[in-house]
This record gives sequence, structure tokens and C-alpha cells, in this order.
Amino acid sequence: MAEATTATQPWSPHYTEPDVIDVRGLPVAYRRKGAGPPTLFLHGAGATRMWLPLYERLSESVDLVAPEHPGFGDTPSPDWLEGFDDLVLHYRDVLDAFELDRVHLIGFSLGGWISANLAIFYPERVRSLTLIAPAGLRVPDAPMTDFMRMPPEQIGDTLFNGHVMDYLEFLPDPHDVDAAIRGYKEASTFARLAWNPRYDRKLDHRVPRIACPALVIEPDEDRLIPNAHAHRWAELLPNARLVKVSGQRNPTGHGIVMQEPDRLAAAIAGHIEEAER
Amino acid sequence: MRNLEFYPINFMPYPYIPPGEEVESTWVSLPNSLYDPVWGHKLYEHFLEVNIAAEKFGFDGVLTNEHHQTAYGGMPNPNLPAAWVAAHTSRIKIGVMGNILNAHSSPLRTAEDIAMLDVMSGGRVISGFVLGTGMEYHSYGINPVTARERFWEAHDVIIKSWTQPGPFEWQGKHFHIPYVNPWPRPMQQPHPPVWLPGAASLETIEAAAKHKYTFMQVFSPRTALAKAAKGYYEAAERFGYKADPRQIAATVQLYVAETDKQARREFEPHCMWYFRNGLKTPVYNLTPPGYMSLRSLEHVLKSGSHGATNMWEMTWDHLIAEKWIVVGSPETVIESLEELTDELGAGRLVFSVELGAMPKWMALKNMEIIAEQVIPHFRGPDGKPVWAREERPAPMTRTELVAQHGKPLPPLARMDGVGYVDTSIAHVPELVEEARRANGNGAVPSPAEPAVTGP
Repeated sequence: MAEATTATQPWSPHYTEPDVIDVRGLPVAYRRKGAGPPTLFLHGAGATRMWLPLYERLSESVDLVAPEHPGFGDTPSPDWLEGFDDLVLHYRDVLDAFELDRVHLIGFSLGGWISANLAIFYPERVRSLTLIAPAGLRVPDAPMTDFMRMPPEQIGDTLFNGHVMDYLEFLPDPHDVDAAIRGYKEASTFARLAWNPRYDRKLDHRVPRIACPALVIEPDEDRLIPNAHAHRWAELLPNARLVKVSGQRNPTGHGIVMQEPDRLAAAIAGHIEEAER
Repeated sequence: MRNLEFYPINFMPYPYIPPGEEVESTWVSLPNSLYDPVWGHKLYEHFLEVNIAAEKFGFDGVLTNEHHQTAYGGMPNPNLPAAWVAAHTSRIKIGVMGNILNAHSSPLRTAEDIAMLDVMSGGRVISGFVLGTGMEYHSYGINPVTARERFWEAHDVIIKSWTQPGPFEWQGKHFHIPYVNPWPRPMQQPHPPVWLPGAASLETIEAAAKHKYTFMQVFSPRTALAKAAKGYYEAAERFGYKADPRQIAATVQLYVAETDKQARREFEPHCMWYFRNGLKTPVYNLTPPGYMSLRSLEHVLKSGSHGATNMWEMTWDHLIAEKWIVVGSPETVIESLEELTDELGAGRLVFSVELGAMPKWMALKNMEIIAEQVIPHFRGPDGKPVWAREERPAPMTRTELVAQHGKPLPPLARMDGVGYVDTSIAHVPELVEEARRANGNGAVPSPAEPAVTGP
């Protein structure tokens, strides 16, 4: 069941009520808008329950479907969720539920990790792949920062490279108990999937199978998943371009999807348009 | 007067570290370059000597503890100091408060370790089963999300391995073990007593009451101790029995001296080392994702207890008022312990006799005063500890062993050209020959033995 919002005042100006679609018995919360090539956006381990400005920009050129992962946002956490294989099957079912044969696939952070797996196992369902600051690779020289052991204020600084105050519109009030519980639930879902290891070493061998056009987007400086990861993704993908999307207001960090909607949407739209030709 | 059993526990800290205010945490990330193994050796000698002294002082048992990658405690393997104490004592109970079941890839490790300790010690072991703190999950990379279900499955494997004949196959969610068949089996029957040290989640209290295990709430304020004890008694009633006070172990830091003033003078600095340095561990260490159920988290956040002071920021007066610590003259301490154990309905007391970098003489002085002036108040007129009131499961002497247990199966070996011989007499040719002639127990053809033929 989708959780009811108890607050009369939305916790973020970007909050919207989700729609819900049944996917093999799981009520999946999602937001969808736009016309054009069908495009699936898989979010990261947070920033849920919002229609982000980035989604709005993207929906100007594509039909954007942004579901919430099992155990994130308003999608409940099912008993069967144990690993990425479960998510790959789930997202194939999601595409079936929306009657979408092939989509442009965009994944941010954790969503990038899931997207790559979907493209590996169901290549026929993916027209193009866009990975924004993706998680999932083992890069021993540049390990991911341990955000499981951080005070909340440090998480904000790590995502926005010290400029968290400029992005409060995306963050819940730290005194909001319900938001804290939701945050813990989402972190728990992430931990269920990726507490140990926090990467999939098999991706090194599998990612080269992804033949579709791919775009890897890195921020100016990613303090959560070091930029070396994006570089490695671009090396492993046989048909990929690597682009850096820099900030106008502040240098971009891991929170790039909240920081630079216009530039990010332009880069992605260009990539999709090219893949459509 | 209430009967109360006394179990000292010693955390064996490494105290030579910067103060808590100067480090992010004493757990998980404190650089181990601060650890000097030569001083570490001296500390183990000190702590183990204090543990061993517990028997002669007449404590009911002595407890070891398990934590990982921290200066708070020096026992990543709680079974090692337990084995040491077993070797240097003969009667006192030895409680292992470990083992952190999730620290091992197979629950058989703990089933074997405890059974081995139980047999080595002559049946003196109390087996704790512990979930471990959140820090353990950060340190070991064990998934906190599945911690509780994996813990209980490990528990089920261990108990079954101790109580049902092996080999059998275990097919569970977290463990598939084709042959569960641990050697040795524990000496105490049906298995060593089990204690559950825990932070009093509703689920743990319920499970402890269901299995009639002793619940030992980890060091906490009295309000939390009282709530947990009440929960246990109520749960026991739901399971259709009245809980024995010995199923509740109260926990305090305990220090006794000649006068109240002297006790504070001696104890306070070491106590403050413990709380302000040893327990310097932020909330994100304590509660990795999934470690708490959402129900428990909601309860904690909405009851406002998350606003409570961090452990490393508590004052002396607060520690006294909430009975985190019980300190003073024998009279003061007796009164305070009576009040606490009455409130809880607790029949066992778990307490530290030393904290931080307390000198050994001070720890021993504390133990002596507790033994001579506090414990007698809570015991029968003969002053006997619990182990002096019962037979040790393994007899103390060979004569008792033979008289009471008879002989085991004869150790037979097949000798080429001879047949089966009882190896215990095989070195005496006359006996071998005699047995061969008598065709009886001792030599030759017990199982049909074909003549050994050469090529």
C-alpha cells in the first residue's frame, strides 16, 4: 500500500502524489509525464517522493516514467527482495506492466547499478543507456565513501560538496520523525542489496556485453562515488561516451540530479535523440 | 533479604588512548596503531588475574565479553579468556557473554567452541548468545538487515546440534549444513545454560522468556532495566509460567570502598574513562540501516528517548541517579542493590569490578570488600556460592570418574597378523596373549578378522 502522507504541508515543494501500478502484486508508486520515446528513470538510494525539476525537463522531450524501487519512497518492501537479480526481474515486469517494449534507460547512482543489470540481462528491452554518477563497480583505488557511517549533516555536505544550504528544498526537515523513519527504511533497503559487498565484481566481466548506445555522466567532483567510477564505466561499456556536467551555481557533486536539471536534461535528451536516429 | 548471585564481568579495555573528545569514536575507526601489544600483554595478565581471583573470593561466576575493533574491550574472541579462566580455576561458573553468532560464517563454530569449553571446564559454562552492537556490523561487514533472523536461525542450529543426535542435515534460509554433527558434545545436559544479553528489543525479551533463558539487559539506566524486566515477567505469564528471579540479570557498574566519599574518590576517574572514552560511539555507529526494526525505531523516535544524553556526555549525578553505577560504602551499596533488584525482580547481578585503567590493587580491593561485606548479605548463612552447593558435572577426581561413570568403549585397533587389540593393554604382551586365549575382551577376533595373508 502506498503510505498516506500525514503532513498537511508537503515536506518538499517538489513532492507530488504518486500514481500506483500493480506489478505482480506489488503496488509500485510512480510518476509519469511527457510525450515522445518511452524512457525509464531509475532513482538512486534517496531523493524519492518528488517530481524533480530534472524529470520535468526530461518530460519535455520524452515520455518519462519514474517508478520508485521496492522498499523506496511509497513502494513497499516485498519479502522477495534480496538482491539485484530480483530487481532485474522486477523491472522487466514493470516494463511489461506499462506495456513498454523498449525504453531509453536512465539510472542515477544505485539506479545506474540496477539499469546496467537490466541492460545486461534484457538487452532487447533497452534502446539506450544513460548512467549518472553510477554505483556498482569495484574500484579498489577509489572506494565509495562510507555513507552508512555518517552524521546526517555530513551526508548533505558529501552530496552537495559543502553547499547543502542551497538545496534544502530537496531535503526533509531533520526534525521530521516520519521522514527519519522513511530515510532509515530506504537505507535499510539499500543495505539489504549492497551492504556487503558495496559493488558487484562481476560487472567488470558483464558490462562489456551492453552494446546499446551509452552515456556516462560524471559531476565536477563526486565525493560519494569518486569520479574514477564513472571513468571505469565508460571504459567497460563498448559503445559509450563520457561527459562531465558542470555546475553553473556550484560545482556539481553526487547530488547532480538536484543541482543541474537543465544541463543534465539537455545532455540526456541529446543522447536519446541520437539513439533514436 | 533477597538471594542474589554475583557475576563480575571485565571488559579488558585498552585505556592508553586519546580522550573521547578528541576522537570520532573509540569503536570501528580508532586507528589500531594506538595499540601497543607489549602493554596489551601486561593488561591481559592483569585482567585475567582479576578474573581468576573471582573463584577464591567466592563469586558465583565470572563473565567474558565480546566486541570487535575497539579500545572499549579487549575480547574479540570471548572463548579464549574463558578457556584461560577455566584452566586456572576448578569450580566457578564461566559465562561467555559473546558469542556474537553473526560474527561467524557457521553457527557450528560456536556450538563447537562452547561444547569444548564446557567439557574442558568440567561442565561450568554459561553460554551467552548475542546479536552484537551496531558497531560489530560496521566492523565485520555483516549485513545488519538480516541480523536478527540470521541470529535466531544460528541459535536454532546450535541448540539442535547440542540436543539431537547427529549427523543431521540443516536446510535453512541462512545456513545449509549437510552434516550437523559437532564433536565434542557439551557436558551439561540437555545443554549449557543460556543467557541472552541484549538491548531489550521487544522481540529479544519475548524470545528469552519463551525459552526460559536468563535475560541480561546490557548496561542501561534503571528505568530501562525495570521496563525490560517487567516485559519479561509479563511475557513469561503469556507463555504460561511464572519467571524465576534468576531469569533476570541486573547490570551495574559497581564500586565499594570504606566510605561513600572514599569510593567516589577512587572510582570516579576510571568510571569517567569508561563512559566518556570507552563509550564514545555516535548514533550512526550504533544503528546501521536495518539493525533496528522500523517498529522499534518509530517507538524510540516518537517516545522522545532519542533526545537522551549521549553516553559519553552523562554526569556523575546522572549516573548515580539512574543506577548506571552503584558506588559507596558497603551499607550504601547493599541498600542500593536491594532497591534495584527488588524493583526488577532480579536474582542475578552482573557488574564490573574495574573500569578503564584502574590499577589492579584497586580492582582486587573492590572485589574483596564486595566479597566480604556485600555478598554475605545476599546469601544463606553458610556463605556458599552457587557452585559450592551443587556437584560439578565432571567429577574432580579419577576415582570418582571411574566409580560413577564406568568405562567407555574399549579403544580397539586392528593389528596386522594379530587381529583386534585393546590398545590400553596392548603394550603388555602377557595380557594380549591371555586375552587371545580367552577370546574375550582385550584381544582378537571381536569383529570377524580374516587371517592376514602376505602377498
